[in-house]
Amino acid sequence: MSSRVIQTLILKDWRLHRMHILMSLAAGVVALALLQVKGESTFLVGTVWFFVSLIVLGSMVPVSNVVNERKKQNLAFLMSLPVSAVQYAIAKMASTIGLFLLPWGVLVIAASTFVMSRADIPKGIVPLMLILFGLPLVGFCLIAATALVSESEGFTVAATIVCNSWYGLVWYFIIRNPAINGDLTSPVPVWSPTVLTILTGEAAAVALILGVTFYLQSRKREFV
Amino acid sequence: MSDLAIELASVVKTYPFFTLDHIHLQVPHGQIMGLIGPNGAGKSTTIRILMGLVQQDRGEVRVLGRRMPAEQIAAKWDIGFASEDMRLYEGMTLAWHMEFIRSIYPNWDARYAQLLLKRFGLRAEQKIKGLSHGQRVKATLLLVLARRPRLLVLDEPTTGLDPVARHEILKELTAVMTDEGRSVLFSSHNTQDVEQISDRITFIDRGRIIDSMDKEAYLDRWRRLRLEVPSGMALPALPGIIGIRQDGRVAVATANAFAPDMANAYESTGARVKSIETMTLEEIFVANVEHSREQEVEA
Repeated sequence: MSSRVIQTLILKDWRLHRMHILMSLAAGVVALALLQVKGESTFLVGTVWFFVSLIVLGSMVPVSNVVNERKKQNLAFLMSLPVSAVQYAIAKMASTIGLFLLPWGVLVIAASTFVMSRADIPKGIVPLMLILFGLPLVGFCLIAATALVSESEGFTVAATIVCNSWYGLVWYFIIRNPAINGDLTSPVPVWSPTVLTILTGEAAAVALILGVTFYLQSRKREFV
Repeated sequence: MSDLAIELASVVKTYPFFTLDHIHLQVPHGQIMGLIGPNGAGKSTTIRILMGLVQQDRGEVRVLGRRMPAEQIAAKWDIGFASEDMRLYEGMTLAWHMEFIRSIYPNWDARYAQLLLKRFGLRAEQKIKGLSHGQRVKATLLLVLARRPRLLVLDEPTTGLDPVARHEILKELTAVMTDEGRSVLFSSHNTQDVEQISDRITFIDRGRIIDSMDKEAYLDRWRRLRLEVPSGMALPALPGIIGIRQDGRVAVATANAFAPDMANAYESTGARVKSIETMTLEEIFVANVEHSREQEVEA
C-alpha cells in the first residue's frame, strides 16, 4: 500500500514538471539538429547549446521539484498523506533524479547515436563525450542533494553557482589532459586508465552523494 | 482498542526559544476538542507532533491507537489534516487535486466530494491560483472531508476567513460531526469558532496546557463578580477566585470555580455584590492565560 503511495507521489512530480522535461528535450534536439549542419560554428553552437540544456535542466529540476514544494507550502499537504518522512524522501529523490535522468539519458543516447552514425566524426571522441556528459549528472546530484537536505533556496542557488562555475574549469583540465586529448582523433574509442578512472570517479561521486543524501534525509526529525 | 482518538503523555519538545512542556492531552473517540491558545502558544507544534511531522524529544503520542511518529503511515490513512499554512499546487486545478487524493484513498467518497463542491460554491476546473483565500480553505477541507477520515485534525482552519466563509465551514464541520464515531481536534485563537463546535476545550499558553475541560463546565464555573467595597478595604481572595481588580471602592473578582455561597462570603466581609456575570469563552480564555502567566512569574 505504501509503495503505491510512493509511486503516486513520483508520478505526481513527473506530471507537475512534464513541461521541464519536454522543454529540455526540445532544446537538446535543436542542439543535435544544429550539429547535423556542416560547419565549425554550427557544430560549436550545437555542442554548447546541448550542454547548456543539460546544465539548465540540472539546475532547474531541484529548485522546482524540491525547494519550491517547501517554499510554496505544499509540503504540509503531502505530509498529511499516509507517508513517512523517509518515504517522502525516497519519493522525492526518485522523482527528482528521474526528472533529470530521463531527458539526460535520451539526449546522451541521441548524441552518442549521432556521433557513432557520422563517418566524419572520429570515434576516439566517445570517451571524452561520456566524461563530459557525466559532469552535469554529478553537478545535478550535488544541487539536488543540497536542495533535499537543506530545503533552502539560498543554499541551492549557491550550489548551482558553484557547480555551474566549476564545469568550465573541469572541462578545461579534462580536454587539456594529454591522456584524453591524445586519442580524440582515433578511429575507435580508447578506454585508457585515465578515462576509466574519471568515469569511475564520476559514478562513485553520484553514488556517494545520493547515499549521503538518503542517510541525512532518513535522520530528519522535522519535516514541516 | 483504546477509547482515545488522541493521547499525548508528558510530551516535551525543545527549540532554542520555545519549549513544549510536558503536554498531556486526551481526546476520546467521537469528541470535538477545541485547542485554544494565543499566537506562539504551541498549538501548531502540538498538532505537528501528533501528526508525526515533528518528532517529540520525550513523551508518548498515540493517535487512533498508533504510536507516533513510528506508526504514522498506518494512522494517517484515517486522519484528515488541514492547517492554515497548508497550500495546494497553485498551477493545478481542484479536479486534479481531487483525482490525486482519490488515487491514494480507497475510501474517497466521490458523491460527497461533488456535494461539497456545490455547498462550498467551488468549481473543480478552476486552478488553485485563481481561488480566493476562503475558496482555498474550502478546497483543502473538501479534499480532507471526502476521504471520510475517522479523525479530523484542523490547525487554525478559519484564520483569515470572512464571516460568511467561516460560517459555511463551521456549518459543514458541524454536519460532519453528526457521525458520532468521528473525532476532531480543532485549534484556533478564535474562541467563537471553537465555542461553536467543540465539546471539550483545552487552553494552551507558552508551551503549557493551562486548563482542559468540557465547554459547559467552563461556562458554568467561570463568573465575574462586581462588588462595592467599603473605603480603605482590600477585597480578600476567596478560594476559587483567581483574580481581583480593585479601583477604590469598585472591585471585580474573577472566579474559576464559582459557587453561589461566594456572594454570601463577600457580603460577610462588608462588600456588596452588585452583579454576578457569566463570562464568554474569550473572557475565560484571557483570564485563564493572565492567571497562568501571573503564577509563572510568581513561581
